Amino acid sequence: MTENFQSGKKNALVLAIASPAGRALLALLLVLIIGAIFNADGAFFKIGTHRDTLRQASVYGILACGMTLVIISGGIDLAVGSMLALVAVCCAQMAIHWNWSGWLVVPACLIIGGCCGGVSGFVTARLGVQPFIATLSMMVLARGLAKYASGGMKVSTAIMNPDGTFRYVEVPRFFRLVDHHILGGNLSVVTLIFAACVATAWILMSKHRWGRYLYAIGGNEEASRLSGVPVVAAKTLAYVASGMFAAVAGICQAAQEQQGDPEAGMGYELMAIAMVVIGGTSLMGGRGGIGLTLLGVLTIGYLDKVLSINAVPEAGRLVLTGIIIVVAVLTQRRKRT
Amino acid sequence: MHTKYPILTTLATLALATALFSACNKSSGPAGANTTSTTTPTRQFVIGMSQCNLGEPWRVQMNADIAAAAAKHPELKVIFKDAQNDTLQQRAQVEEFASAKVDLLIISPKEAQPLTEPVAHAAAAGIPVIVLDRRLLGTNYTCFIGADNKKIGRAAGEWIVKMLQGKGNVVELMGLQTSTPGQDRHSGFLDGIAGSDLQVIFRADMQWLEPNARQEMESALARFDKIDCVFAHNDDGAHGAYLATKAAGREKQIKFVGIDALPQEGVAYVRQGILDATFQYPTGGAEAIDTALKILHGERVPKEIVLGTRLFDKDNVAQGGVALK
Repeated sequence: MTENFQSGKKNALVLAIASPAGRALLALLLVLIIGAIFNADGAFFKIGTHRDTLRQASVYGILACGMTLVIISGGIDLAVGSMLALVAVCCAQMAIHWNWSGWLVVPACLIIGGCCGGVSGFVTARLGVQPFIATLSMMVLARGLAKYASGGMKVSTAIMNPDGTFRYVEVPRFFRLVDHHILGGNLSVVTLIFAACVATAWILMSKHRWGRYLYAIGGNEEASRLSGVPVVAAKTLAYVASGMFAAVAGICQAAQEQQGDPEAGMGYELMAIAMVVIGGTSLMGGRGGIGLTLLGVLTIGYLDKVLSINAVPEAGRLVLTGIIIVVAVLTQRRKRT
Repeated sequence: MHTKYPILTTLATLALATALFSACNKSSGPAGANTTSTTTPTRQFVIGMSQCNLGEPWRVQMNADIAAAAAKHPELKVIFKDAQNDTLQQRAQVEEFASAKVDLLIISPKEAQPLTEPVAHAAAAGIPVIVLDRRLLGTNYTCFIGADNKKIGRAAGEWIVKMLQGKGNVVELMGLQTSTPGQDRHSGFLDGIAGSDLQVIFRADMQWLEPNARQEMESALARFDKIDCVFAHNDDGAHGAYLATKAAGREKQIKFVGIDALPQEGVAYVRQGILDATFQYPTGGAEAIDTALKILHGERVPKEIVLGTRLFDKDNVAQGGVALK
């Protein structure tokens, strides 16, 4: 970068834009401007549109929180979509069919997600299998478990009796609570849950020793090991956390659909990775942060919404999304000095 | 990879695989190797059933329908195979059934072109073949059983015209438009509403997925203050649209119509007052077993059986719907 700016003010602005956060913000602003121009007869300016955008992006966003932890440690977690489906199925089974209270369902779901993540983490960190392969196996395994647990059918409020007829039960109160609007109908509870996940991930990464370990491992694993970082434990925990975030996403998914769908979450892992990368977190590990991921989540969420309210046909949507992801990532590319 | 315990890992993997394998063999889903083998003096017939995938509840239901129908006939033994959406795997299954000399083959093929010849070989070897749901090329099979998506789409369109008395604003949430069912349900629907004053004000491809349908419906609600009816190409889509509308507090003003009418999905939604109507896309499982029995007992069967649809709305859902011509 040349250093011939006249005013220090301008210099500061350029520096702000040049920072990863500034660039991620720029991408988000670009999408918002596009939305303001193509506002579909003013639909873009309604509060409800923004509430719905945030609601739709929340499940992806929760997955992206866990994904950020794993990516910063130099790994990747392809299993989040399948773990979401497994938890959604188990959650629906427990809450709808067994009529368990939410106080019991949520911890049970977190344990299921944590265990799945723990297996991925153990295979990666302890047994030394590449994260891509280890989590790919978990992706297939968890999908299989989800189908096995549900018998391939959606777990819904229609419960089959032994004689093949159906009885119908109420949607659990705890599902209604999660899929609820607050503040005069202007904010979805799932968005609040997403915000809580972002806050948790932020605290873990910036205020806790473990977060610094993850950055160190992602930066240089061997050097971290030599300087006494508990590499295996820290890495395994990153996958456990990713599994638990996937479990939260699975609960939100089940509550919003009012059923557990073993096919849910297909391709969500790629969406979560795209959100992390657009934010500016490096896939090589060691660089990035949860704030950047939040910007990435909002960028893709709003892009999706703008295309949707304008009823852009599917083919055009895929092309545009692809182009915008590439452009956003290119602006994120840092010049190595 | 540098594992410290190669033997331990191998043993653990083996143990896990064995455990899973035996668990899967014991009961592979609701339609696992359902062998209704009771000792009867009559001849036993073995039917091979190759399902293209069990990823969709509708296909799980198809297998369940076949198993339920076959369970009523102790002389039938049905062997189910799932090709997991892999054309070549399904081809191998057809060849396996043919070389095992099953008495009859039922196939719900993934695609026409690559499976036509393997099925023709089986038919040439003297095995009667029933093709279910999706078609094959040519006529080298015994009987095709399937439903007509275009007809179902048209029936839905006509029902909506009647309900709205010929005019109103409709949102169409379409199934994947690169798939034949999605295209046929769409064009049938257009036929059904042709000539009326119905306006399709918002149209989106929700790819059969409930979360997508919910998002698209939210967009439609944000844009239009007056929507009279949502027509979704499957019940999942209609359910997602209902949830979006309920969140906006406008579900009383809008009618919701879906397709498929699986007992635990669409029909349940109509019973619960979520959907106003759903049109059955029949699996043909029971008809396949009926036809199989006729073939096995030497009776003649038509080359093609087109299944009718059933309408489920709040007036007739308790009686099990009404058949439409």
